[in-house]
Amino acid sequence: MRLLVSWLRDFVDVTASPVEIAEGLGLRGFEVAAIEPFGDGDAVIDFEVTANRPDCLSVVGLAREVATLFDVPLKPIPAAGPKPPAKENAEPDTRKTSAVGVTIEDAELCPRYAAAVAEVTDAASPPWMTTRLHAAGVRPISAIVDITNYVLFELGHPTHAFDLDKLAGARIRVRRATPGEPIKTLDGVDRRLDADMLVIADRDRAQAVAGVMGGALAEVSPATRIVAFESAYFTPAAVRRTSKRLGLKTEASSRFERGADSSAPVVALQRIADLIDQIGAGRIVGPLIDLYPSKRQPIAIHLRRVRLAAVLGATVPDRDVERILRALGLAVDPTADGWDASAPTFRVDLLREVDLIEEVGRHYGFEKLPATFPVVTTPAAAPDPRIPRDNLVRRVLTAAGLTEAVTFGFIEARAAEAFAEVGAGRPIGIANPLSAKFDTLRPSLIPGLIDAVAHNRRHGREDVGLFEIGTRFAAHGETRAAAVAWTGSTAAVHWSGGLRAVDFFDVKGIVERLCAALGVTLGVEPGDATFLVPGQAARLVAASGHSSGTPLGAMGQIIPEICDARGLPQQDRLFVAELSLDALWLARVEGAEEVRPLPRHPFVVRDLSIVVADTLPAQIIRGTIQSAGEKTPAPLVGVTFFDRYQGKGIPDGAVSLSVRMTFQAPDRTLTDADIQASVDLILASLVREHAAIQR
Amino acid sequence: MSTRPPNPESVAELVAQFKSDLAQAKSTRDAQAVRDRFLGRKNSIVASWMQMIGTAPPDQKKQIGRWANELKKGVEALWAEWQAEAVVQGRARGRSAGAVDVTLPGRVPPLGHRHPLTLVRDRLEEIFTRMGFAVVEGPEVEDEWHCFDALNMPAGHPARDMQDTLYLAAPLSGDSPTDRRTLLRTHTSSMQIRYMQAHTPPIRIVVPGRVYRRDDLDLTHSPAFGQIEGLAVGEGLSLADLKGTMLAFARQMFSPAARVRFRPSFFPYTEPSAEIDLSCWRCDGAGCAMCKKTGWIEIGGCGMVHPAVFEAVGYDAERCTGFAWGIGIERIAILRYQIEDIRLFYENDLRFLEQFPY
Repeated sequence: MRLLVSWLRDFVDVTASPVEIAEGLGLRGFEVAAIEPFGDGDAVIDFEVTANRPDCLSVVGLAREVATLFDVPLKPIPAAGPKPPAKENAEPDTRKTSAVGVTIEDAELCPRYAAAVAEVTDAASPPWMTTRLHAAGVRPISAIVDITNYVLFELGHPTHAFDLDKLAGARIRVRRATPGEPIKTLDGVDRRLDADMLVIADRDRAQAVAGVMGGALAEVSPATRIVAFESAYFTPAAVRRTSKRLGLKTEASSRFERGADSSAPVVALQRIADLIDQIGAGRIVGPLIDLYPSKRQPIAIHLRRVRLAAVLGATVPDRDVERILRALGLAVDPTADGWDASAPTFRVDLLREVDLIEEVGRHYGFEKLPATFPVVTTPAAAPDPRIPRDNLVRRVLTAAGLTEAVTFGFIEARAAEAFAEVGAGRPIGIANPLSAKFDTLRPSLIPGLIDAVAHNRRHGREDVGLFEIGTRFAAHGETRAAAVAWTGSTAAVHWSGGLRAVDFFDVKGIVERLCAALGVTLGVEPGDATFLVPGQAARLVAASGHSSGTPLGAMGQIIPEICDARGLPQQDRLFVAELSLDALWLARVEGAEEVRPLPRHPFVVRDLSIVVADTLPAQIIRGTIQSAGEKTPAPLVGVTFFDRYQGKGIPDGAVSLSVRMTFQAPDRTLTDADIQASVDLILASLVREHAAIQR
Repeated sequence: MSTRPPNPESVAELVAQFKSDLAQAKSTRDAQAVRDRFLGRKNSIVASWMQMIGTAPPDQKKQIGRWANELKKGVEALWAEWQAEAVVQGRARGRSAGAVDVTLPGRVPPLGHRHPLTLVRDRLEEIFTRMGFAVVEGPEVEDEWHCFDALNMPAGHPARDMQDTLYLAAPLSGDSPTDRRTLLRTHTSSMQIRYMQAHTPPIRIVVPGRVYRRDDLDLTHSPAFGQIEGLAVGEGLSLADLKGTMLAFARQMFSPAARVRFRPSFFPYTEPSAEIDLSCWRCDGAGCAMCKKTGWIEIGGCGMVHPAVFEAVGYDAERCTGFAWGIGIERIAILRYQIEDIRLFYENDLRFLEQFPY
């Protein structure tokens, strides 16, 4: 709301400068967007008026706030404008019947409708009026239109002028539109209305969309000689619905939809009549029409002194309470425990006690309230278990050298499609996206990370390792996941050499570490995710406990087609993994907290090299060794692969695997004979199960 | 420098002298000084003999030249010998077997950086935890009732306009079979409702999380951003308590000298409502570029929980009072790290991320 300070001074005598007024109201709930000098010593203050205060979309509304702020009286609406001209025809017209007939056919959407008829001339508005309209931000058009705009900004009440000669039958019918009823609005757009919308119609057709915009047909023009002024109260929800559905927001609709003043229609018409008279644009003929079938009563609100002090945390003197509420236009009667107040009709936001507490607090000044620290009566509950969990995941991943990324929860449909299978289910679209780049909820964190890697590659970074912890979405709900994406070298360049490109097992190692940190036994199986390179893809599942076999996620190398589509260099090999943290959390097996005693007897290590078919997964061989190890005389406590070799000396289709086995008994020192017998048993098992040959 | 006339005896004596002086040198610098005294380009013994050639009678020129050359060669040979010896000795002193060049870079173990938004969020959680608030999280996909209706924003409220809220094309199933989540939450306040439905007062929680708005991504706006919601409910909580809580937060987060200002505002789910301004910690309120010369910096919104919200969750709005606030995590990070473009948070440029502490 652009407030011209000299206009404000019509209503309130304050000596404060525009800056002081702006700062003062700024601390009373009206944020100042700008202060602009306007002409000679005058200024426009642009206030941001909150949605609950439609009354302050007016000079008089803001003047009431200024009057309360500076504790000065609010002056009544001037009976005539600032420069009263000599009146030639000051006698009111005495005709008993109006030149227009009005009927309200839907009192629910239009509780009140007032109208007046005026004979007008094609006069121009005086400079003082056009100056004020310019300051308010509207373009002067003609005296009649300018007067309605002037009243709009001064009193905050929207009115409308019809060329009465163009209203068929000289009738005004306030009715619902017929389905599909056409109207060309003042902005020149042909619109179709529906039955929920209220129109102002003449005998034959809709001539205005009630509370939103007038029609082009009955628009006031230089040729207009007789005008019907409308000053009504329309139901806020109906205007909002209509404005939204037509995509048409106007000064009028924004006031009606927040709640106009049900007492204003007649006041606004009287002001129009005064202004017409004052600027010599014509004269009102016939009586003023005011249809108000069920008059609204002001809302009575009781304010308790004790409650006021309890909510604010400070005692406001009774004198201040009464002064503030009265200055804001409320009727206030003191009672034993507080006050009986009655809210004026322009304050549509004052409905209950707490609303009055806010008003008192606001004008008493929040700055006068003490700052007290609330007494703590109970200990804080433990945090949501996801918070320490996510912090642990973050610690593990940063320790792996990966840097945390944050990407958006929505991505473009094209990028989402391929990743739906990670999170299960088709990606969820957004019904009203602002741009196609963000039109789909992410089914996986990987597409966002790919884009982040691509961004860094475009800016010359060769080694990029990122992770993200975030939400992903599928039809069955949202889940939290952690994902990693890694390309380039495993470490920074070093003078000692040893640079190695990131491969499958680097990312798998991170996955293994993460699962270990969360107490989950990880199972890894060959995968077939379409976004991963075949043969470099794995499915991640829980491998122990009650949720054994539950899918945890996927990992592998991103296919070149996707890398290419997302702007990654063709030669890049990008490895990714994604794990559902919710699934991991359910799959964790809580280990015993007690520490195990340290072993008292030495361990013995034996290495074994075998040749087996290269299609045989290492996991199977490991399983064979472990189950054989359960029956060996020397207890087997550890199995590790330490070499894998194919090539010279090894037949095609075979592979040499070297296994390191650790034996240890809790109660004795193992003998050579124990060890030898154990290794023999294990080897025999490998030969039997896998036709292994010892090298 | 030397008064010794050039002759075969003095050549021999000077060479011997050089050898003994050099032997007595205690450092490389001493040795260099000895060498300069004999061999330096100016004012050295050899240089003075060379000069004599020019001024000597013609018949002696050749003689002096030969002696000067002899001296020079003798001294130079000794110097070369000494230098070679010094290298050997130096190596022996500085580098025993297996010694390394300690000035070469070490192998730095990898350590990634946490995102600045995580750093800020952690700090916020830490501060409010110390004040007795429990940290809880809520769903990002919400239903209209939790996001709007229960927060005193009935159907038709301007904040529910399609302009601001992103709706899903198909609902997600929530915690219960009848639960249909249809929109991306526009604020973490929806979790106030979920928490109050599941707990009884007294309540003290903070809810960090992501929220979504139908906004374009530009220098200062983002369609998704982080918020931290606070909620305290109990008997006798007041606006003054909220002010004290915000003051304690500001002093721990920004500056021990911070002051708090509440500017009246409007939120449907709080009443009274206020914007939270902090005194600018750069200029202490004097006015600078960061606070746009106002001395104050807005960090979020707050207020006393609206009785309609208590009624929506079945609390006794007469007995309970409570306060709530919402602070933007990006906003805090922007202020703390002086970041000019909000998009930097989501680009994940390592040159940006690596500037933040581990």
